[in-house]
Amino acid sequence: MAMELAEAGWDVVIFEMGPNYYSNIEGQGPFPTVFSNDELKSQYRYFEQPDPLAYPRTFRQTASQNAANTYVGDVNDLPNQVGGAFPHSDVKVTRMWDIDFKGLSLLGPVPGADMADWPFEYSELAPYYDEIETLIGVQGDVASIPAFVQRHQPQQRPYPMPPGAQMRSSTLLAAGAKRLGLHPFYFPMAANSVEYNGSPACNNCGFCSGYGCPISAKPGNLIMLRRALRTGRTQLRPQTTVTQVNYTGRRATGVSFIDAAGNAGGESSDIVVLSCSAVLSPRLALLSNLPDPYARIGKRIMFQNFYDGFAIFLNQRVHAYRGRSCTQVVFDFNDPDFPGARVFARLAGLPYIRAGLCELGGSQNPIAEGKFYQEILGLIPGVQFFGRAFKDLMQASLLRDRLAGVDCFATDMPYLTNNVTLDPTIKDLNGQPAPRVTYKIGKFERASQDFFIPLLSTMCGASGAQLYAAVPQSTANSIGGTAPPTGLHTMGGMQMGVNPATSVVDGNGRMHQMDNVFCSDGSVFATSGGSNPTNTIMAVALRTARGLTGRRSPLPAAAFAQPG
Amino acid sequence: MASDGAVPGYGLSAPVSRRKMLGGLTLLPLVAVSSAVPTASADPGDSATAADAADTSYLYLSPHQAAVLDAATRRLIPGPGDDPGVTSPGAHEANVVRYIDVMLGAFSFSPPRVHAGGPWSNRAGGSVDFMANFVPLDRAQNYAWQQRIANLRSQYTTGIALLDQLAGGDFTTESKSKQNSILATGQAVSFTQVLFGHAIEGMYSVPEYGGNANLVGWQGIAWPGDIEPRGYTDAEVEAPQGDTLAQSGIIGMLVQGGWAHAIAKMGGKAGVNIGR
Repeated sequence: MAMELAEAGWDVVIFEMGPNYYSNIEGQGPFPTVFSNDELKSQYRYFEQPDPLAYPRTFRQTASQNAANTYVGDVNDLPNQVGGAFPHSDVKVTRMWDIDFKGLSLLGPVPGADMADWPFEYSELAPYYDEIETLIGVQGDVASIPAFVQRHQPQQRPYPMPPGAQMRSSTLLAAGAKRLGLHPFYFPMAANSVEYNGSPACNNCGFCSGYGCPISAKPGNLIMLRRALRTGRTQLRPQTTVTQVNYTGRRATGVSFIDAAGNAGGESSDIVVLSCSAVLSPRLALLSNLPDPYARIGKRIMFQNFYDGFAIFLNQRVHAYRGRSCTQVVFDFNDPDFPGARVFARLAGLPYIRAGLCELGGSQNPIAEGKFYQEILGLIPGVQFFGRAFKDLMQASLLRDRLAGVDCFATDMPYLTNNVTLDPTIKDLNGQPAPRVTYKIGKFERASQDFFIPLLSTMCGASGAQLYAAVPQSTANSIGGTAPPTGLHTMGGMQMGVNPATSVVDGNGRMHQMDNVFCSDGSVFATSGGSNPTNTIMAVALRTARGLTGRRSPLPAAAFAQPG
Repeated sequence: MASDGAVPGYGLSAPVSRRKMLGGLTLLPLVAVSSAVPTASADPGDSATAADAADTSYLYLSPHQAAVLDAATRRLIPGPGDDPGVTSPGAHEANVVRYIDVMLGAFSFSPPRVHAGGPWSNRAGGSVDFMANFVPLDRAQNYAWQQRIANLRSQYTTGIALLDQLAGGDFTTESKSKQNSILATGQAVSFTQVLFGHAIEGMYSVPEYGGNANLVGWQGIAWPGDIEPRGYTDAEVEAPQGDTLAQSGIIGMLVQGGWAHAIAKMGGKAGVNIGR
């Protein structure tokens, strides 16, 4: 967004609530950083995300839940620092399918869900996917994408880089998936397999998912930020939290903020673009009391319902700590026509079910491994949760060096009851109400889980692993009581749609009720899809930006002409 | 935030000339260099090489509190001599108590010892340990960590006193089996869980945080640790690595039903392929 606006001659100010861990952003070559191979700071000390003691969120499953049971803390917090949420990820860049953009039209309504079409379809977004993939640099092999995936998301342009080294853990799981007739392929990802535009090739350090890259081998949206800054028309203000969008009637006049030293300030502007992510953009809109006659702001929060698969090898070490967190992917479970799925759905009283993409071959680092043993040892009767058994497990390394893990991102239906509101009591360090997330999976997610979890477990077993399993993350997390949703794939809250009565922003990303307030992040998603959302977030943002600058083809007016 | 705001290179408010000068030096960690302020306090590199239980120069803990934590963490992650048959180093050898003390005393340092720096240490091909240069906290991080550490200090003070009380005065003089039962059951369990979590961190984190002395935590589990700037070769990424585990002890329990039991409790489906 900032790149497109600045390169079109606009003056842009970027407010980033988090710190800047990079230098040389507006220079050339790599981006020196203080990100490092440090599990403690990245996973346990809030280096890469807002600290929940400073910026708490609250969580409840339903609006009728006793307020005393509300959870306060980290609720799917995305990293917040210069570079946005992107640096934390292992930069997998999948595309959403035709049935994600036109799910209501193509698959029909789902009972209890607020299913809706996007204002545009896959074919209109495809050129933006192509452009983003070239811009940020993606490795992959278009020829390896299975035919059924190509049918749902046709793409022809070769990826700019070939696939890099294939992780042992991913290769084993992919072989097992093939034995079952599934279709694994090279996982497209925005990590360099060769030097690309001055950034080095990835050297497989393994601290990828959940870590900023120490060597700039996955520069991602820093590339766009650099281009924006190099116009000389963009100011970047880290550690600056926008507290309110100011407006008169239908026009925003600017924003109020609190700067790095805690001082209040303000900036006037002709246009305001919200890009704070799915939970925080609606929160800012609510804090600003922006017009919302149909009470749609904050509605339809979607997280994807994660399943964890385990393939544990007692006869070999699969060293998933080397490489780019996972290098193979299976997309079969994202298909509502997966063998047996329609019948299972009908028996459950649903028109269809879907899970989503499976990442093959991930694992965890030793602190996470140790804390996992701390938890599961307590579940085994007659075993003390510490001591010798713990040491033996760490040495054997069942859940690290011998683990080939799977993450499956199952499609989340949009529900009006899943939403973001302002918490009535909990406040952040600036005294502003915390975002309150109300979220619970529904019948669709439970039925999909019941059907696909055993399949996922079977797929893990087919890899030859001696111990295997699949668990729904939501259940696994809640062993210790009420647990907030996890997974970091957050979408919705400022839904894009044609009808002002049932959506927040229009097909151009502009709020229906405002002339000059736009939204360009995951909050505009009308459906969650069943894959990594980042590529779609970027492609939609670029499309929205092109509409603003008048450089879109076809011109923005076409979006208004879409039939409702 | 006042002190952090003045750190050059942190944020884009640094003078343009400085950025231009350094912009051409690829991979120079500007932020780390600029925050490399020498302190009078003990360097974590020094403490990492001085894995000595007799070292009583703690930042926050009293000698007795440290002794209680040493005794307790020996039960949680035992080393040689702590439990029969244990040969690899444990919490004591890794100096987990030092890790906890540095955490509780993080604000004795400037910048506070909360987030180690980057992009790498000198353990995997780097010539300088940039991780030893801690990253300054911003306003929100400072606010949160002041609060978190104050809370942890209170939990540790109360928890240690509880262990002593349940041991009839001094936890360190109790038998190992009595120490185990105090830690595993009853009133102390919630503190045990907190302590165990931190013991795990102190065993396996990078040594700049004060634990994992002489890297014994990593050596005990065949973990290479931080690996930049060297990384792994493509061949290392793809290579098979045969290594068969004996199915005795806890591994045997898992194979013979423990795994399925734990997964069922997590609401999942499990299976075992043995003898194929």
